[in-house]
Amino acid sequence: MQNKPPSWLVGLVFLGVIASDCQGQDAQSGRGSLPLIDNTEAFDTPNDAGNSITLTWARTRSIPEGGVYKAYIAESREGPYYPASEIAGGANLQSEEPETFGYGDAAWDAHFIHITEYAGGEGVVSLQNDKTYYVRLELHSGNRSTRAPIVTASAQGNYFNWKKLNNIVLGGLLSFLILGFISLARHRDLYIRRIGGLEALDEALGRATAMGKPVLFIHGLRDMSQISTIAAVNILGRVASRTAEYDAALRVVAPDPVVMSVSQETVQASYFEAGRPDAFNTKHVFVAGTEQFSYAAATEGIMVRERPAAHIMMGYFYAESLLLAETGSTTGAIQIAGTDAFTQLPFFVTTCDYTLMGEELYAASAYLSREPKLLGSLKGQDAGKAIIIAAIVLGALLATVDIPFLTHVFTPH
Amino acid sequence: MIFLSRTLPVIVALCFGVFGIGIYYVPHAAAQNLERELALWLRVVFAFSYLLGLYSLLNLHWQRIRQRVEGWGYSAMVYVGFGLMMLFVIHNDGKGPFAPQAEGTAAENGYQWLFEYVQVACSSTMFSILAFFIASAAYRTFRARTPEAALLLVAAIVVMLGRVPIGAYISEYVPAAAEWLLNVPNLAAKRGILLGVSLGAIATSLRIIFGIERSYLGGGDE
Amino acid sequence: MIQWLMNIDRRIIFVFVFLGVALPLLANVFLPIKPTRDVISVYDQFEKVAEDEGIVLLSFSYGASTEPEMQPMARAILRHCFSRNIKVVAVCLWPEAPGLARKVLEEIGDEFGKTYGEDYAFLGFKPGNFAVVLNMGQDFRDAFPQDNWGTPLEELALTQDIRTLRDFDFVFDLAAGDSIEFWWIPYGQEKYGFPFAGGCTAVMAPDLFPFLQSKQMVGLLGGLAGAAEYETLVGRQDKATAGMSAQSMAHLIIVAFILFGNMAFFLSRRR
Repeated sequence: MQNKPPSWLVGLVFLGVIASDCQGQDAQSGRGSLPLIDNTEAFDTPNDAGNSITLTWARTRSIPEGGVYKAYIAESREGPYYPASEIAGGANLQSEEPETFGYGDAAWDAHFIHITEYAGGEGVVSLQNDKTYYVRLELHSGNRSTRAPIVTASAQGNYFNWKKLNNIVLGGLLSFLILGFISLARHRDLYIRRIGGLEALDEALGRATAMGKPVLFIHGLRDMSQISTIAAVNILGRVASRTAEYDAALRVVAPDPVVMSVSQETVQASYFEAGRPDAFNTKHVFVAGTEQFSYAAATEGIMVRERPAAHIMMGYFYAESLLLAETGSTTGAIQIAGTDAFTQLPFFVTTCDYTLMGEELYAASAYLSREPKLLGSLKGQDAGKAIIIAAIVLGALLATVDIPFLTHVFTPH
Repeated sequence: MIFLSRTLPVIVALCFGVFGIGIYYVPHAAAQNLERELALWLRVVFAFSYLLGLYSLLNLHWQRIRQRVEGWGYSAMVYVGFGLMMLFVIHNDGKGPFAPQAEGTAAENGYQWLFEYVQVACSSTMFSILAFFIASAAYRTFRARTPEAALLLVAAIVVMLGRVPIGAYISEYVPAAAEWLLNVPNLAAKRGILLGVSLGAIATSLRIIFGIERSYLGGGDE
Repeated sequence: MIQWLMNIDRRIIFVFVFLGVALPLLANVFLPIKPTRDVISVYDQFEKVAEDEGIVLLSFSYGASTEPEMQPMARAILRHCFSRNIKVVAVCLWPEAPGLARKVLEEIGDEFGKTYGEDYAFLGFKPGNFAVVLNMGQDFRDAFPQDNWGTPLEELALTQDIRTLRDFDFVFDLAAGDSIEFWWIPYGQEKYGFPFAGGCTAVMAPDLFPFLQSKQMVGLLGGLAGAAEYETLVGRQDKATAGMSAQSMAHLIIVAFILFGNMAFFLSRRR
């Protein structure tokens, strides 16, 4: 005769099943045919100032149409839980934010939500740092819903933005190259090829001397902290040396007092070095105007009245570039321009006898002054450009065969 | 004195340069608050630079008037113009300089009248001279002396016609060709120059931050 | 004759250019304008803001010298905004801009019967260039605590809820200088990620094409042509469209002189 389990035992087991089923908040309840929510995790949102929690969970491809994920948040496990965020069933894949979740295939198989605030009892409440929050994720479709286990996290301010790691590495590499070459230039003579415009510069100065007319040096409109103005001042030093040697007159117009002051000292130093301190006149280096068109009008007036034999325009120019260059061309002067203003290059190219374009301006100043810091900087920039060119070519080839690694390395976040 | 004029500015440049770079990579609230403070300070410095610019301008022209240099009458006009505008600013339609800016059109407000019918008129006239100058420059220089010059000439004509409605009248391909020229070869050249100039700007900034470049202080290097 | 054609006195060229620009303007000739892709993108973005009943930040970064090119653009943009009941907050980043911005806001605001403080607000000029943009992104009230006439922002219905640049649905900069490339994009759009577009002078437009391709700018209005295209989209032809006929004629004259010069050049070479 078989022994049946006693009925009281059966009843006890049955009650136990019902009790575990009713354990409520910590249990995953599934009603109907909605898929379960797997791999739910919550953590501090990385790379931010805090006040944000990120919730992630596995993607399921069997979500019914119109399905919606809703995230609820509470300050204690028991609640109350307040609505924090809501997204459509197929939205917010991790692949949409590669800077946080990476470019791997796994990013296509998971969702995310960044929670920064929730609709509390008395209005919108922002998350606070270093406070534990309890997050519950639910999937709703019509009258059905399913719920993931509650997860916890606390928001914190982060000390490094890992999204910008590529930026700091590339920036660091470039800085290392530039500073390294500057240091090298102090001990070795670095080679720079001859810049074509420099020959034209010598020719212009010789012409001015032969004609007995002054040379007019025109600064661009930017101030002394700009690289183009610094380069222009270096070229001015060379021009001043030559005019001192040749005994030609030099006029320098500047757009502001600081540039004028630096130009005066540069010219004076050049005249001293050339052994012609008596030839220097501070009145020949002056501010023509402080506004764009007043500067242009004043300079054009000098061109037309004094008829310099050579016009040397160096720096960053704006719309006045064509006014200056075209007026200068009517006087028959030889004109040499150098600018890194991309939009003004065509005007200088068409109206001047020679134009130093973009980096040629910086290179010319380095070549003329032979200062280690300028030579080293130029070499460092060249090295940086070589790296960029190699990256462009290699990256294009790799991208063609669907290997976007280099593209991702250079993508800013 | 050397410390104040040469050493301290370099230290300040180093500290703020390093802070500025660091803030970019540190998302913590403390760094962001520092960035906010620095931006406010920067605005104050900018505002004072306007005062400095005003003083420089007036001082420059005063010296010219005082020394009776050639053309000193124009320097006197600077003072006349400045004084007139300041008069209307202070008058402020009867409300005085400490009340908000008076409303009203140019017909009702003297300051607005001077701005619209003197400043705007003169400035835009100077700017419009470019139209004449570009015509004469283009005529003089766009000659097909070499194959490259011929290519430049053709491209210039296509873009000039393609950017105005008349180009579409001539042919529907003219605007399309102009857009291609601007978006492909022109943009490629622009990017190349931009890369070079940006690297140059990074190099100069590094030199200034680390005190290698000091020409911005005035007075040459030591 | 050939030599004369190769060396035409520039004053003759100036006369032709003057006539070529003046006559179409006096005759009020309007040529049909076909909007281009980048201008349509800006229009579509404003339409999206209108559908969402959003608010736009309009930044004036131009001065008196570029008024003839930029002011028609500002008018067209404002006409679009006010006709679609888009709220507009205007700021100036150039010292010469406030006079121009005030004028166009009042003019177009009166045209559409808009109320200051509810439909649009003018916050005036603040020095600082890119620092102002940075401040606006961090805390808008830090950058502009009051409007142009001293009213605190919290007292204006339009600006009560504005805290940062992210609170705007769209930011549009009218630029005649460096403001788009060196202020708004690096210190604004790149940091805070809001939809951004701009209008600029024609000569600057190619400078900004890289930002269109990288999607940092939604669209671009380039010069008077861009303004004319926008007027066409808005359905109100004004000074920009009138200016295009003058510009077309000027370009034709320049092309004609170039061709004359080259014709003479080739003829002289044959001889």
